[in-house]
Amino acid sequence: MNNPYLPKRVRIEKIIDETVGRDIKSFVFSFLDPQDRQSFDYHPGQFAEISIAGAGEIPIGIASSPTEGDTVMFTVKKMGVVTKDLHNSSPGRIVGLRGPYGNGFPMEELKGKHIVIVGGGFAFTTLRALAVYLMGEERRKDYGDITIIYGARTPGDLIYRQELEAWSQRKDLNVHITVDKAEPGWQGKEGFVPAVVKQVAPSAKEAIAIVCGPPIMIKFTIPILFELGFAADKILNSLEMRMKCGLGKCGRCNIGHKYVCKDGPVFTYAELQNMPPEY
Amino acid sequence: MRLLFLQKEELEPFVSRLIAWQEVVGPKAKKNRFVFDKLESPAELRLDYDTTILPPKKYFFQPQQDLIRFSPEGFTGCIEPKPRIIFGVHPYDIKAISMLDYLFSDGKKDWNYLANRQAATIVGINVHQVFKTAFFESMGASIVTKGYDLFLTDIGEEGFVVEVATDKGEALLAYGHFTQVTPDQAQKRRKILYGQSDRCSQKLFNLPEEVSEKVALSFYHPIWEEMASRCFSCGACNLVCPTCYCFDVQDMWNLDQESGIRFRTWDGCLTEDFAKVTVQGGTENFRQDRSSRYRHRIMRKAVYLNSKLGGPACVGCGRCASACPADLANPVPVLNKIMEG
Repeated sequence: MNNPYLPKRVRIEKIIDETVGRDIKSFVFSFLDPQDRQSFDYHPGQFAEISIAGAGEIPIGIASSPTEGDTVMFTVKKMGVVTKDLHNSSPGRIVGLRGPYGNGFPMEELKGKHIVIVGGGFAFTTLRALAVYLMGEERRKDYGDITIIYGARTPGDLIYRQELEAWSQRKDLNVHITVDKAEPGWQGKEGFVPAVVKQVAPSAKEAIAIVCGPPIMIKFTIPILFELGFAADKILNSLEMRMKCGLGKCGRCNIGHKYVCKDGPVFTYAELQNMPPEY
Repeated sequence: MRLLFLQKEELEPFVSRLIAWQEVVGPKAKKNRFVFDKLESPAELRLDYDTTILPPKKYFFQPQQDLIRFSPEGFTGCIEPKPRIIFGVHPYDIKAISMLDYLFSDGKKDWNYLANRQAATIVGINVHQVFKTAFFESMGASIVTKGYDLFLTDIGEEGFVVEVATDKGEALLAYGHFTQVTPDQAQKRRKILYGQSDRCSQKLFNLPEEVSEKVALSFYHPIWEEMASRCFSCGACNLVCPTCYCFDVQDMWNLDQESGIRFRTWDGCLTEDFAKVTVQGGTENFRQDRSSRYRHRIMRKAVYLNSKLGGPACVGCGRCASACPADLANPVPVLNKIMEG
């Protein structure tokens, strides 16, 4: 009998410091048993449980795209018991991983559409997975314009900074990076994400907006997307927190009729409007 | 339907032989209440019980259940089901077990529960005495037609009409002396199971479907605040509930500090910590107010799980009402009041 709580063993191959504050790190894992990678069949927007013996488990959005090979990457902010333990790791450490879980982004539905990705702070992780997937050589033609608007408090808080710079150079992407507060030497925009969305004003025609970030950013971004003509069912959010077991059992992430870990974590704004205001 | 008959004086030898064969648990007296517990002798079995403090779910979904073991070598599962006969389960509890069976099978199967469930044989019994706060009649849980292996109907001095529902139930027959049922006995069984009504003092004035529809629209009703102002957030209502299945997961090291276990424990949405999460810069509670937690429990029972279960996630056992130290957990007056307004 298959125990759904049993993690697979993964090795930390690489740890990348993402921010100046050193409290956000990316962890690149490889599966000890290649078969386990085979069965870890994921797509952007899904999450998995990182498992550290003695500390516990945390549900974390997958930051890599399935098109990036056999390793799987997670970007984790140091917050509680498990994340602190993980942050203290060195490459080579063996930890556990189970998943993938959740609905992820509706990849079929995104085909043929213009894509507007709006991210804030360290919630850019699954958006990175999505962006990398969409811009891949064989897939880029399947989508219309791709607009990426991403902001953080300061330049030092931007994650995936080198990649962002590389994306900015591409002709087939509209990349807008902003910081709340510029520093000497900062070449990009200054201003809050919602304001930049307003300024960039991506067309809502045949477009889907995917928004992930701190609640305050989402709160002010949604009305602007409405102004631009995005319907509530064309705006996607990912509810990253609250989950626990990942299997739709433990009840922690239950909001109304939905379990975030099973029915989500990606919901349209229209779906969220029908849920009790407990998220 | 296959019916047999067990004479009253044949009950003890039957249970006695079952005990010699397998672990048998059943309702036993404990102070002025009853509990499901391991039977050492058939004399301990109290089929005349009203209800037990905890429902029989504790045998499948234990208050603390190991999920995995870890050691420097890796992780191993610990699904080690133990065959067990649960003797004397009331219809409302059988209905609740069927709900949990569904919920733990829905989507990704939780074999940590299901293995225990499959290893159990359930012997049902009709309700002899009605618990003071029970309202199972209002929840359509006074009769069940599935979810058990054998079902005994006590027809009085003569004995029990026994319905054999499954192969697992069939396997128990070898341990007792069963005879053919007479038409008269079968008739008595029907009368007892289907002919009784109005036994519960607690009643909903509306059908569960009507309640569900209206409660769903009552998210901002003043009653939540009103009731919860007296709530201690102790979670006793959750702990005694046969359909509550939320849990927390924790890790514990063994003394060697190298190996340990990951286990789950019963959790309750009424407790303050339940909806607390670690966020940037501290913790956040999605149901900070007692009233939101009180509402969540009633909503889950009356509304949220209906789409999965096809009806309310409550069987009217009345345990929550009797366990609540502030006497506010009984859903009946709350639901009736919402329906009135």
